[in-house]
Amino acid sequence: MDSFVNNFKKSTSTWEDQSLLDNFVNFDPVKEFSLPTFDIPSCLNPIEFLKAHTDENSTTECRIKLEHGTTTLSFKFQGGIIVAADSRASSGSYIASQTVKKIIEINPYLLGTMAGGAADCSFWERELGRRCRLYELRNKERISVAAASKLLANMVYAYKGMGLSMGTMVTGWDKTGPNLFYVDSDGTRLKGDLFSVGSGSTFAYGVLDSGFDYELSAPEAIELGRRSIYQATFRDAASGGSINVYHVKQDGWEFIGNYDVGDLHWEYQDQPKPSLIGDVPMFNIQS
Amino acid sequence: MDCLIGIVGKDFVLTAADTSAARSITVMKSTEDKSRDLNKHIVMLYSGEPGDTVHFAEYIQRNIRFYEIKNGIELTPKAAATFTRKELATSLRSRKPYSVNLLIAGYDITTLSSHLYWIDYLGSSVSVPFAAHGYGAYYTLSLLDRYHRSDISLDEAKILIKKCIDELKTRFIINLANFKIKVADKDGIREIEI
Amino acid sequence: MNPVSLYDIDSLTISPVEAPVERQFYPYADNGGTSLAIAGADYCLVASDTRQSSGYSISSRYSPKAFKLTEKAVLATNGFFADGLALTKRLGQKLEWYKHAHDKEMSTRALAQMLSNTLYYKRFFPYYVFNLLGGIDEQGRGVVYSYDPVGSYEPEMYRAGGSAASLVQPFLDNQVGLKNQQGAQRTPLPLDTAIRIAKDAFTSATERDIYTGDYLEIFVIRQEGVTTERIDLKKD
Repeated sequence: MDSFVNNFKKSTSTWEDQSLLDNFVNFDPVKEFSLPTFDIPSCLNPIEFLKAHTDENSTTECRIKLEHGTTTLSFKFQGGIIVAADSRASSGSYIASQTVKKIIEINPYLLGTMAGGAADCSFWERELGRRCRLYELRNKERISVAAASKLLANMVYAYKGMGLSMGTMVTGWDKTGPNLFYVDSDGTRLKGDLFSVGSGSTFAYGVLDSGFDYELSAPEAIELGRRSIYQATFRDAASGGSINVYHVKQDGWEFIGNYDVGDLHWEYQDQPKPSLIGDVPMFNIQS
Repeated sequence: MDCLIGIVGKDFVLTAADTSAARSITVMKSTEDKSRDLNKHIVMLYSGEPGDTVHFAEYIQRNIRFYEIKNGIELTPKAAATFTRKELATSLRSRKPYSVNLLIAGYDITTLSSHLYWIDYLGSSVSVPFAAHGYGAYYTLSLLDRYHRSDISLDEAKILIKKCIDELKTRFIINLANFKIKVADKDGIREIEI
Repeated sequence: MNPVSLYDIDSLTISPVEAPVERQFYPYADNGGTSLAIAGADYCLVASDTRQSSGYSISSRYSPKAFKLTEKAVLATNGFFADGLALTKRLGQKLEWYKHAHDKEMSTRALAQMLSNTLYYKRFFPYYVFNLLGGIDEQGRGVVYSYDPVGSYEPEMYRAGGSAASLVQPFLDNQVGLKNQQGAQRTPLPLDTAIRIAKDAFTSATERDIYTGDYLEIFVIRQEGVTTERIDLKKD
């Protein structure tokens, strides 16, 4: 009888009884700065369990459809960094939302982008924001973009192989100037000048690489970012909605605007395609 | 798809690593340094599972630095390779092993000799006169067999490594646009152009 | 000769081969049902049908899945009813603790973020629930938050969720969002219009979705508090 009882004594979630008291009664600094605790199914292989229920190709009757599909881009130029993204979230073939904010304002001088699992990106980038603030309070100094991106990479690396899906670009301006890092859920972290992430990234890369020049003016760079995302939404069914554009400058980021792809389409359709011969600007800048 | 090459010469080791960082079918970056300096005379090249590579390399780098600071001595290439191999072998028997392949190239200031260790993710470690990791090995090892001598000079080694890279550029389907070439000798580690 | 007698009966009583038996761990079901939420200038409406199904069987005609969490917020849980209940209970506990610790009710904005975190803490063993949180914010304006099962959320003005979401959402896009209508007058939506739209949405969803029907429960959240209304839907 005892062994029978013992089988059931160990709760599936030790989390529950802890959290209620800890959150409101005690303050435990160790817990405060450690990774959050997650509930794990008490089956033989929790990772396979999660895959069976959430995987894109799984045929389970009630599959948990996570929101997917994106085009995001970011590049350095003479005037700072441009960050642009679409706003569509699709789960399977259903468009779950056309108004997603895929450029996450981590704090007034750091931006993160969202590709892959929407919840994974927003949760971990919020956690990153919290840790950056703690860093600031401890060191009386703002965290560098390199350090912030490494915090994020290390956090998700701890969960490698457990099914997180995140492809993000962390941007900002610190003591060393404008900085751009690519971080994903494999634990990869790359410093770079130009990145595009998501299902529509190949299309965005095409337009972005061909029109890119470091000496671009700010309006030209903004237009290049916007146009690249637009062309990606045109070819990639999983991208669309509207385009958000941000400009990272010395004193923090600035929101440039939100452009509905539907309206943008007619605007662009009226513009003639640029000539490929001679020194002709690739984009018509609307003044 | 990464490609690492190493050649031991009389009093130096020459290494080459491609600089492409690819995700799926996209080249995300073409200037990625796939190596870490373990100390003044030892360089470690890495390839394998994204995320694991940098994480493991930096873990080894820092532990070796820490050991050297604590004990006030510089590790020999053999000591560094032995330590690294053991870490990989321990990891292999854990719940989540590192999938990282390595080349450890260094100059031993105690015996005034150069060494190259080929280490794979299974914990095999071999001291070799030349080595390659990845698909690149299939194209370059024959070249190295044909042309390598134990008394090869740095100038010749540079030509040999250029031959290897050229062969990859003509025959390998994947475009490895750039390589980072490093030399480790009595003066330390430096990057060179070929 | 009887063929059965060819076999040694005794040896068949014990299994001939000892092999591991695979058992499936399948803790999820889809109980259907639809919910809808519309935010107005000074109110928020949360409507939810009360049918609970498993497969083609109707388990219950009145099993509400929308719950009042605070005086200013109502949560509609779609998908797996048991997970919806577990989640609501957990939120209820957390809200109670919050009240004792801070001597005030949690704001809707904070509740929205807390719900997101609660869902994400079960990232590796998710609640199979698609939530809609309707309420009014600190300024008394209506807000709707919609969630995926692992806590990705965004504030919106209107949203449909559950089995007939793909039927109701386009209707709301047209009637509430006035999407793709050039020169449409974008005036604040009066409460009675919102209720009418909600009723129409559900009578129509009942016509085309087998998991929607029986009763419609409409919560209206205003500064003064929450009111509930129950309306009949077709029961076939």
